[in-house]
Amino acid sequence: MFIRLVRNELEKTWRSRWIVFAVMAGLFVLIAGGLYIFYVATQHRWSPPPAVAWQTTLRDEIAANQSSIAQLQQIKQQQGGSAGGPFRGGFSIDSVIARDQQAILDDQYLLDNNIAPLQSFSITLAALFGLGGIVMFLLLRVFGWLASEQIAGERSDRTIAILLSRPMSRDQLLLAKAVASFLISLAVVVVTFLIVYAMLAFIEGSLGPFTAQVAIAVDGSKPVGSGNLVVMSIPLFVLMCLGASMLGVLCVQGMALLISVVTGRWAAIGITLAVLFGAALVSAIVSGIITLISGNPNTAHFLNYLFVNVLVPVSAIAPVFGNAPTEAGTGMKEFGSQLATLAVWTVAFFAAAWLLFHRKQEAG
Amino acid sequence: MAAIVQVDRLSKNFGRVRALHEISFSVAEGEVFGFLGPNGAGKTTTIRILLGLLNGDGGTAKIGGFDCWTEHAKAARLFGATLEQPALYGFLSGRDNLRLFARLLGPVDEAQITELLGLVGMTERGDDKVKRYSMGMRQRLALAQGMLGKPRLLILDEPTNGLDPNGIHGLRILLRKLATEQGLTIFFSSHLLSEVEELCDRVVVLHRGEVKASGPLSEVVNVKGFNYRIDVSDVDKAMEIVRTIEGATVESGTIKDSITVSSQTDLARIINHALVAAGIGVDQLVRTEKGLEDVYIELTGVAPGSPLSAPPPPPPPSPPVAVRR
Repeated sequence: MFIRLVRNELEKTWRSRWIVFAVMAGLFVLIAGGLYIFYVATQHRWSPPPAVAWQTTLRDEIAANQSSIAQLQQIKQQQGGSAGGPFRGGFSIDSVIARDQQAILDDQYLLDNNIAPLQSFSITLAALFGLGGIVMFLLLRVFGWLASEQIAGERSDRTIAILLSRPMSRDQLLLAKAVASFLISLAVVVVTFLIVYAMLAFIEGSLGPFTAQVAIAVDGSKPVGSGNLVVMSIPLFVLMCLGASMLGVLCVQGMALLISVVTGRWAAIGITLAVLFGAALVSAIVSGIITLISGNPNTAHFLNYLFVNVLVPVSAIAPVFGNAPTEAGTGMKEFGSQLATLAVWTVAFFAAAWLLFHRKQEAG
Repeated sequence: MAAIVQVDRLSKNFGRVRALHEISFSVAEGEVFGFLGPNGAGKTTTIRILLGLLNGDGGTAKIGGFDCWTEHAKAARLFGATLEQPALYGFLSGRDNLRLFARLLGPVDEAQITELLGLVGMTERGDDKVKRYSMGMRQRLALAQGMLGKPRLLILDEPTNGLDPNGIHGLRILLRKLATEQGLTIFFSSHLLSEVEELCDRVVVLHRGEVKASGPLSEVVNVKGFNYRIDVSDVDKAMEIVRTIEGATVESGTIKDSITVSSQTDLARIINHALVAAGIGVDQLVRTEKGLEDVYIELTGVAPGSPLSAPPPPPPPSPPVAVRR
């Protein structure tokens, strides 16, 4: 019975909203085509570039950093007494030299231990960009919209009365709608990931290994070292990113369903999109003001308990390219805390939707 | 016969608005039951409670002995329903709509879907998208949807909405056939008195959330007598003459140059003779037997076609006796 219900929901979404998926596919074709044209125009070649081993990239990076340090020290000597004085940007020559030295140490650590940084392979890059960042930001809004219609749309079309008068519980209907929404979004996310992977594999000139180990910093703001690294295989890393992204999707769908059980179609779509876009915008403005006043970006970190700010947890590890300290609030620790926050919000949204739907009087 | 629908002291309020006040009635298995009342009487609210869409504030509503709210899944196995406005997916074909709704009941029986499309006269248009259907076609498909899974009880909320006279006639024949041949219990809500009069064994008349009358049609329609519409050359004089005839009650007609008369016994010839003898030109005399319509007006105080009621019903089913000169 439940499988038939899910099948119904999948069929309804596909038959009524196939145009949304067609538009998304069209956008991908346009973006991929545009990038390819750009590649051909700039690289003067039609085929992928030759692949470069990650060890080579790291050695090149070490060499570049060493040359950068040498140049900076030269500048420092020329400046004489004002050694290490601040640049216009507020940072000093010394701090840049220290950062480059740390980057060399980090790269050397990774080379010595045969641990590849995250940006080494097209598949790990695809996990970071295809399952995080702007791609997921936009996909989440589409999934929120589709989920918000699930019950509200039936109410506007009056078909909710037929569904609820049939021999099944409201739990079954709500669950079937949640499962169908989730399955559709999972398919879209996986396909998106594969497309991004294909594009990156072309740019990198290689599909890359699937069994190698990659490392992620626990705290992205601290130097890489044995105590600040989580090492895992590529399949595990990709699955972890996929799971985290899907938890974000589930959270959005829970919120959308909660709105959907109490309103009609257009109100549900409007409120869902207003929350997803509006709350993120308001939060960004508030965060900016707090940071400006306090002068410390960590002061606004409490906003990460707001679900709209943790919907794409992969973004917390995306800036961590393993071999150089980055900003605070990145790394596996932050990733874990965002997942926990998301899980709490997701459970709360679904519980509230379930409670309200159980009591909802469908007066027509 | 055992009652399949049992409603006992059922009440429902929407905020301060009292939609139903302690209504009680039952529907026996196999009967065609008429649920009558003007718009806003509480018919749809009652049906929504029976379907498990609303929970009553007091009293009980049961189908097959199962509470419609707390034991909804069990009660819902027994009935199929259509709503006042046909609820269908416009982006799917008629056949796909039936497939989708059939899946809510069990494995899809393609043969039954084809049979139902044929039964409601939708075989040819079954593969067209519902958004291209007329209102009447949607009503017919909704009826097929209600009959999916061979229910014991068919609950129809204003099923003649949007149907043309041919469609109404066809629906009446179909429902009668279903009741007699398949023993289906039919719960038929309508404000179209002629429909109920033609079709139903028993009726309940609802008005402002209260049951005004209930019972076998012959008991509820316990109004004997005749109504006459007479088109005359002089209304005032004609009214004066008719007032002198014993047993006749007269009032000026709603149509220009006509009077309306009612009587317990048939006075058509006497009235006609008296008017002609007094030198009044009689252009037309139409006699009808009193029916459910008159009871309805008496019970609810709402005349069909008045602003409080729905659109006027189609012409009365009993053929009028017309005397033309």
